Amino acid sequence: MAYLNMDRISKFYPESNVLANDNVYFELNRNEIHAIVGENGAGKSTLMKILFGMERPDSGRILLQNDEVKIKNPLDANALGIGMVHQHFRLIPDFTIAQNVVLGIEPTHNGLLLDRDEAIRRVEAVMDEYGFNLDPTQKVASLTVGQMQMVEIVKILYRKAELLILDEPTSVLTEQQIHKLFETMRNLCRLGKTIIIITHKLGEVKEISQRVTVMRKGKVVAIRNTEDVDEKELSRLMVGKSVIFQFDRSSRNKGAAVLELQDVLLQKKTTERPLLDRINLKVHSGEIVGIAGVGGNGLSEIEDIVSGLTPVSDGRILHNGKEITHLSARHLRERGLAYVPADRLHRGSSIETSVLENMIVSDHHSFLKGGVFSQHDIREFASTLLANYSIDGQSGVPIGTLSGGNIQKVILARELAARSDFIIFSEPTWGLDVASSEFIYSKILEIREQGTAVLLISSNLDEILGLADTLIVMYRGRIVCSHPNTEELSKEIIGEYMLGLRDDFKEGRQHAD
Amino acid sequence: MGFVMISRRGGSMPIRRKLSTTMVTTFGLTITLGIAFILAIFLMLVLSKEPAQTIFHFFVGPFANKFYFGNMLNAAIPLVFTGLGISVAFKSSVFNLGGEGQVYSGALVTTAVCLAIPNLNGLLGGTMALAAGLGIGALLAGLSGFFRMKWGTDELISSFLISGAIVLIINYLITGPLDDPTNSLLTTPKIGEQYRLFQFFKPSKLDISAFFAIIAAVLMFFLMYYTHWGYEMRMCGLNREFSRYGGINVSFYMVLPMILSGALHGLAGGFAVMGTHHAALKEFTFGMGWNGIAVALIARNNPLGVLPAAILFAYLDAGAKAAMLHSDVTFEIAAVIQSIIFYLVTAQAIYSLFRYRKREAA
Amino acid sequence: MNDNTFAIPLVHNAVGIMTPFLLAATGGLFTELTGMLNIALEGLMLIGAFFSVVFAAATGSLLMGILLGILATMAVALMFGVISLYLKANIFISGLATNLLASGLTVVLAFQLFGNKGVIRFENIQKLPVLSIPALQKIPVLGDLLIGHNILVYVSWAVLFIAAVVIYRTPFGLRLRGTGMGKDTIASLGLNPTGYQLKAIIISGFTCGLAGAGLTLNLSAFVPNITSGRGWIALVAIYLGNKNPLGILIACFVFGFAESFSNYAQGAMNMPAEIILAFPYIITVAAMIGYSIWRHYRAQA
Repeated sequence: MAYLNMDRISKFYPESNVLANDNVYFELNRNEIHAIVGENGAGKSTLMKILFGMERPDSGRILLQNDEVKIKNPLDANALGIGMVHQHFRLIPDFTIAQNVVLGIEPTHNGLLLDRDEAIRRVEAVMDEYGFNLDPTQKVASLTVGQMQMVEIVKILYRKAELLILDEPTSVLTEQQIHKLFETMRNLCRLGKTIIIITHKLGEVKEISQRVTVMRKGKVVAIRNTEDVDEKELSRLMVGKSVIFQFDRSSRNKGAAVLELQDVLLQKKTTERPLLDRINLKVHSGEIVGIAGVGGNGLSEIEDIVSGLTPVSDGRILHNGKEITHLSARHLRERGLAYVPADRLHRGSSIETSVLENMIVSDHHSFLKGGVFSQHDIREFASTLLANYSIDGQSGVPIGTLSGGNIQKVILARELAARSDFIIFSEPTWGLDVASSEFIYSKILEIREQGTAVLLISSNLDEILGLADTLIVMYRGRIVCSHPNTEELSKEIIGEYMLGLRDDFKEGRQHAD
Repeated sequence: MGFVMISRRGGSMPIRRKLSTTMVTTFGLTITLGIAFILAIFLMLVLSKEPAQTIFHFFVGPFANKFYFGNMLNAAIPLVFTGLGISVAFKSSVFNLGGEGQVYSGALVTTAVCLAIPNLNGLLGGTMALAAGLGIGALLAGLSGFFRMKWGTDELISSFLISGAIVLIINYLITGPLDDPTNSLLTTPKIGEQYRLFQFFKPSKLDISAFFAIIAAVLMFFLMYYTHWGYEMRMCGLNREFSRYGGINVSFYMVLPMILSGALHGLAGGFAVMGTHHAALKEFTFGMGWNGIAVALIARNNPLGVLPAAILFAYLDAGAKAAMLHSDVTFEIAAVIQSIIFYLVTAQAIYSLFRYRKREAA
Repeated sequence: MNDNTFAIPLVHNAVGIMTPFLLAATGGLFTELTGMLNIALEGLMLIGAFFSVVFAAATGSLLMGILLGILATMAVALMFGVISLYLKANIFISGLATNLLASGLTVVLAFQLFGNKGVIRFENIQKLPVLSIPALQKIPVLGDLLIGHNILVYVSWAVLFIAAVVIYRTPFGLRLRGTGMGKDTIASLGLNPTGYQLKAIIISGFTCGLAGAGLTLNLSAFVPNITSGRGWIALVAIYLGNKNPLGILIACFVFGFAESFSNYAQGAMNMPAEIILAFPYIITVAAMIGYSIWRHYRAQA
């Protein structure tokens, strides 16, 4: 008999028109570590939110040890012994570990005053029982990220959780912290707990889980014993048939280096390792340089420093040989460095503002006649762009009312119009439909023909392999691979680089070209 | 291979609206005013022994003759300036809470300049005086904006504190060194005749600063929606990250809106002196700053909307005054009604019944 | 004994004057800790001032007057809280509205009930009893300054003490502080952060009601807008006192001393009262800016 059964769970979100869970059947055995894998939007978070009472299913039922249960909110889940550690910690930094753990069910002297000593005693007891080595009187703010995660686990153990759900627990941890976490997880299982781990890191699935459920597009596509599958098969199950775009990428001789990063270092006080660790790369005229990697390994940091929004800690950035390291986003724009960001809705556009006003932000000075906007010129500019980019929408409406594909086209149109000789794309087709994606690919190839230097950051390997002339892989803030995009590079090999299994630059720092 | 869970990447989910904003706003506003008026009537029914008289005078009184009507419009003038000042700040997402101090100091400085140059030509001297009043307001507010830009000091609290200190200091100046010794009132001496703005709607005190108010509203509207400063201010107000990404100097637009806001408040005080009171009396500008916030709220921070909003507020005051003079209620019922309008205007939940639903991807 | 003969009445007065500041600031501390900017302290104090003296006259009992005054203030606070938290009003604007409502309503009611818009004197109320606690007199240095105040002064100290205990030693206080530091975290634990915010507002209503009572019952009269900015000063005191009870005590004393000194200086010295009253504002703004500068440069290092 399975410990937990989620039987034909369905959940539809009308606001975004998404069927997040489609008749999902999920089964969990006692004492196992069970991994749930899937891409973004596969439905795994939704399923766990339903299990934890943060969402209610439209249909289906949940059975705990063969008894049907109704989980209406996290308190119900807690009462059933289900606890969840979220990806983003829910801790109060200024409170001590003990205070964070007992918050909401504090022990008291005669019901009125906090019994601090008892709280510390009880928290220590739980930590001793499960082998955690933390000082309950320490403030959470002074803990490392790995320790904070331990506190989150202690929190749910304190509430007598038997089933622990961990949502992407390793995304913020270092290697050693991950090892510690896995040790803890195995220990908890030995002591009788059952664990569900949501992850996208297939190597970890192999390392820690006994069984794995693969989800794709709201459905469960496979349930396997971990020892019976390898990572290749898992990824195939996760992705299904990959969408093949026809890329007409003619071979070109690349021109001079337009943008160059020299020994760029980005270090924040709050993190232990540098976010960018001596990066060297060049993007030439007429070349598409693709950067691949798993999120959290430095991709978004590259985006931030090349666009001038985050200053580098050390190193230089050159544009056509001239130093631009300390220039602000404003000055970079004046030099014609264009940028299509990954965060469409908060950085790439202002959703409440009209399409028109979004279109002119990088170059609005050019529409001024004597300090005043020429409405005529602006409108003309906008209609030209709307037509050229087949954008379905009017210029006067708030951009937020457009579909994602059209919003991205507006951003694309704006940036291409304002660029000089360089542009950086980050996740350009994330979440977009096929037609919009194809349009964007054709535009990218078009500007490559025209000699623009293109830096493409993407988690979509098909995209990068189709478009890039040169391929770079980042891992833990370093470049571990920099290679012309030839037949030799397969998705498997790139995947190994992305997971840190291969590293071309481990001994000494060589320059990427 | 491994696929990425990117937390901050934008999704493709659209944001739908069920009704356009203007329609909803007008509708919501009408409801608000409707409720306010019903409440006013209710108050008068309860408080007055001759409610019909009271109600009549409250609603109709301000229009009864030139005197009342003109004075009502005149009272709206400073509210237009302060309302504009607040709306330009709000639109840029900065918070100027020092309005009271800025208006008061604008008034005092204008008076002081007029008194210091008693023999100058009216137009020249008057312009200088107004410019000085504008300047002091701009300086005071700009200071808060500067501290915010440089060191992240919360401009809401700093502008309020500075204003608090300034008000006290000006009170001292008016009742002390600058007090008019020829009478027993707490006021400065009157400014020269040539500086007094022409009152064109006698017997009321309505003066030509009304036209300046209208011009200011039109100018601010033009600034906000047709010039690139206005565009950049609004973009910063809506989304600072987007603005910085787009190359707008976000730091500058923490200071500029405060300077403009303070300048408008200073003008409110200056015109009040030169147009109506012809001197700086103790505490005579009190309320103009706070009411400016209410006016900006009702006008939804739209510069042109400030005009009717200011008149509405002045109308409530004038109606209460008329009711007080001709009947048996007290003037302060205006404050009660105004506070209800404040509550209603800012209670978003009322609008969400009809309003567009903002949904982002889960 | 002290030979500084003028200092004693100065400081003694300050202790009395700071009472309304202290009470209002104590209540405001609760709201501040839950992450809300509560500017309605002024209006709430005014409500308390009006209703406590009116009810005291009506019932003939000081105690009843105070209790009913507090009740009225808490009712207004409840309305303010519901509108701000559940009708999603901008708390700053609704705070302003509350102040405006209080100032208008009290005059309207005064006029309605007593036919008088100005100062209303109540003949038949006793004054607040002045306590003489011998134990206090024995405290070195401060002893003389702590005795001989009216009962509400001592109550305000008790209230501050109880507030400190509640905030730092009870589950309620822990959750309250948690709400201000992490609303989502509190919600994820199954608690209701909005509920704590509403309770904080009602508590501020309680203390402001008491504060207002102290103002009018001391005079046995109601003066329109008798609060004249004390609620705002209380708010400033919370910031100046770095949002903790001891700091607030000190900050309120600073303001009390400023007012006491300005009263004195008006008579004896030629220093203008208003300038002295402006000092605390200036000090606070300077402190704020100084703190921002320090924080700014520390982050850069």
